[in-house]
Amino acid sequence: MDLNSLKKQISDISSRSKHVFDAASSKPELDDIYRSFLGKKGEVNILLKSLGSLPQDKRKDAGLLLNKLKEELESLYTSTSQTLIALVNSERLAKDSVDVTLPGFQSYKGSLHPVSQTIKEISDFFERMGFDIETGPEAEIDYYNFEALNVPKDHPAKDMHDTFYLSNSGLLRTHTSPVQIRTMEKSEPPHRIICPGKVYRKDSDLTHTPMFHQIEGLVVEKDASFAQLKGLLNDFLEDFFGEKVELRFRPSYFPFTEPSAEADIRWKKNWLEVLGCGMVHPNVLEGVGVDTKEYSGFAFGLGVERMAMLKYDIPDLRAFFENDLRFLKQF
Amino acid sequence: MQFSKNWLRDFIDIDLSTEDICYQLTMAGIEVDSFENIKSKITGNDSIIKLDITPNRGDCFSVLGVARELAAINNVKFKLPKIQAIKSTFEDNISVNVCAEGPIYCGRTVRNFNMDSVSLPLIAERLRLSDQKLIDPVVDITNYILLEFGQPLHAFDRDKLTGDISVRLAKKKEHLTLLDDQELVLDDTCLVISDDKSAVAFAGIMGGKDTSVTPSTSSIFLESAYFKPSIIRGKARRFGFQTDASLRFERGIDYEIQEIALNRATSLLKETVGGEVSSIISASRAKELPKHKRINVDIERTNKILGTTISNSSAKKYFNSLGLSPENTKSGDISVLSPSWRYDINIEADLVEELARMEGYDSLPRESLSPVYKKQIQSNESHLRNSLVSQGFNEIVSYAFISKEDHNLFGQKQKTLDVANPLSQNMSVMRTNLASGLINTFLYNLNHGQENQRLFEIGNTFHTKNSKEVVEQKLVAGLISGRKQSDNWKDKSTEVTFYDLKGAVQDLLTDSNQISSLKNCNIDFLHPGMSSYIFCGKENVGFLGSIHPDILDKLGVKEDLFLFSIDVDKLSFDSFKSFKEFSKFPSSSRDLAFLINKEIDAFSVEKVIKGSAGEYYKRLEIFDVYEGKGVDDHKKSIALSITWQSNTKTLLDSDIDKAVEKIVNSVKKELGGELRV
Repeated sequence: MDLNSLKKQISDISSRSKHVFDAASSKPELDDIYRSFLGKKGEVNILLKSLGSLPQDKRKDAGLLLNKLKEELESLYTSTSQTLIALVNSERLAKDSVDVTLPGFQSYKGSLHPVSQTIKEISDFFERMGFDIETGPEAEIDYYNFEALNVPKDHPAKDMHDTFYLSNSGLLRTHTSPVQIRTMEKSEPPHRIICPGKVYRKDSDLTHTPMFHQIEGLVVEKDASFAQLKGLLNDFLEDFFGEKVELRFRPSYFPFTEPSAEADIRWKKNWLEVLGCGMVHPNVLEGVGVDTKEYSGFAFGLGVERMAMLKYDIPDLRAFFENDLRFLKQF
Repeated sequence: MQFSKNWLRDFIDIDLSTEDICYQLTMAGIEVDSFENIKSKITGNDSIIKLDITPNRGDCFSVLGVARELAAINNVKFKLPKIQAIKSTFEDNISVNVCAEGPIYCGRTVRNFNMDSVSLPLIAERLRLSDQKLIDPVVDITNYILLEFGQPLHAFDRDKLTGDISVRLAKKKEHLTLLDDQELVLDDTCLVISDDKSAVAFAGIMGGKDTSVTPSTSSIFLESAYFKPSIIRGKARRFGFQTDASLRFERGIDYEIQEIALNRATSLLKETVGGEVSSIISASRAKELPKHKRINVDIERTNKILGTTISNSSAKKYFNSLGLSPENTKSGDISVLSPSWRYDINIEADLVEELARMEGYDSLPRESLSPVYKKQIQSNESHLRNSLVSQGFNEIVSYAFISKEDHNLFGQKQKTLDVANPLSQNMSVMRTNLASGLINTFLYNLNHGQENQRLFEIGNTFHTKNSKEVVEQKLVAGLISGRKQSDNWKDKSTEVTFYDLKGAVQDLLTDSNQISSLKNCNIDFLHPGMSSYIFCGKENVGFLGSIHPDILDKLGVKEDLFLFSIDVDKLSFDSFKSFKEFSKFPSSSRDLAFLINKEIDAFSVEKVIKGSAGEYYKRLEIFDVYEGKGVDDHKKSIALSITWQSNTKTLLDSDIDKAVEKIVNSVKKELGGELRV
């Protein structure tokens, strides 16, 4: 072969290729065409192999020409390929569009009961303050529910709690305070504990259910003071409600605290009782062997449902135990 | 207790609005339930104040007591109303005997009065404002003194008393018919007033019917006594009632006021109904009376507890206003004397409270508690909660007491712990598992149009070991019913099955000491062929299954219900997971299908395969179980995908072929299974 015939073949390929590439209607077809020119057995490769038959002094020029052709074909392939992809994608876009306003496929949404949710929120605060969570039995005995808490037999303070008695001569605890005693019995001070749990009182009307939940808190330390109790409860309530709350303390009576107090918060103009508290009564501390010269303590108790009703604007206490899914799924 | 605000003016001279009075009382620990401003023809512009008295403040169960408290708060003078001197005109020869439980008893006879008179207008109006019914002038006055002084009085028809009066313990099985026709059978823990014939009153609680004042009464014996709180406590309640008198006696009344109250009553009585008055007959046992107690209070310590800076002199001022007669001691403390009307002042802490009250709780300082570092551990309970919520379960909280009927259905004949005084029969038995709560909640929601439900509860169940000992077990239980997924406009979801339940339990226990096996169980409320125990290691931790069709019928439920229950405290979850290396070499899988007898369960097949699959065995997945056309009646086809992988090399086909051959041989030998080709 001579240089001229090679040149002719090159220009032939070059002029033909334009049409051939343009005619490709899909990427695989285009790739076939590409291979027919540039593949191992493609036309360009055949020409390259034939270079050896050219005279020595012509080979360099011929090589340059063939490389130019190669570049030309490569760029033709790239541009055609891009056009084809754009075409395919635009067809796909036209075909595949959905009605975005149709509903998505959701899975079932689980929920925590508002009581658990509230206990968790409250516990989180106290755990950050270094309180341990303690629990105790719900079927209690008189000693832990009353006597050890400075409520002697037949004391009028028992009227404050309508007690459910059990066939084993025990009772259903009327508050979570027995856990205080059980904790102090089994370990030495200092103590920082909260005790969440179910409590029972024989009472049922619009604002009372025979079972509800309380959280009891107890601090027994060397210098536990009423001032700290006030500070702690104030910090807690602001943390819980997530905003400043107007809080007031007033004297009250619990047999197991002295001084005793009730804490009210300002809620939509009115003062609303939210928790009971006080300095642990010396009789209670001495009863479990705590040296009252060395240690003092304070305790507080709050109703979980009450707190949840305030925070989540739940109007009816009974909703907590109806377990209507339309209610539960909101939490 | 409720009363007219203007009544307070008989005792104190203060000019405060009702709002201010109520605020002061509230902030002093005398809780105001409500107040209402009124206009009265007799008392003028007035208010009705309603108080909730805490059990420690029996002294505030009277207008006098409330006034004394207000006097202390405002540091003003407090005076008793003027009592007209009583001239006795005759002696009644009745005598009275007291006992240790009732150490003060005084009384007098009033005769020849006019029972047709009506109560004085002011008395009648004040009683009305206190929500007291008007009965007759005699009873009205006893009620009036009870409200005014807190001293319960009782009037007997003098002519119906036989012989002398004694305060004594009742005899065993002594009968007494009360004013309101209640017939009581008393015992020797009850205190009675007795004449020579029989008990005539349940002391401190209610008078007897036989000696009561009637319209025809012309002569009365008026009693004013002090009974120990301990003998009155719980007595009326034992018979299911409470009276204004018992309420006061059991909290403790002023033990120095009996004669004053009797004179006050007599003077009002004379003014109302006239008549002749005998001299006072009384008896007392001084040794049995409460004592004024000397109590020391360390002001420095008080300030430490309260975070205050109360000085000795202001402490004394406060104590003075409360009638506590403070004195300085040599040691620098203040010593006070408990007054006859305060039963709640016994120890130093009580005085700390008095000082705090006088300072005002609200003005006491506030100090933040410093946090202390504690390691936090996630409880099983919260782990389970999070996991179930992420699986789309809704948590419920149901009552721990259930009905006997529900226990019979779901209690597996366990002995129950019963509520002795249930609120209703539906709440009379403590639950032994959580099934009834979940199922009743399911029914409630089904009736409210919710078909697809995934519920769970975590709660205690109660088990009696012997008649006394109770063991509480914390369970987590869940129920599923309805469709697998919420329906959508494209695909209709299928109903949940046993395997959805099992999958939920497997997911729940993923990070725990995993399910090791399931064994068919015999829980009577579950479908016997569709239920099993859950084992973690060797321990039975719970069960899962479909509710028995008989039970569904009884409940009128057409839907299938699936339930699991697991003992929370038997689980242990990994609190810290360590990373496990995975192989960098490719894995190889083979799909095999075996024909085996129907009765052979998947667990046995897995066990045989795992045991024969060789050292590179990685995992096994069952992807099809088929019975029916093309398979013998007593056989089933089980198709599995088995995967091998080495940590050190790429496995060769020949390695896998060898393992497959071993598997096929073992399945044939141990289970009689044939490879299906």
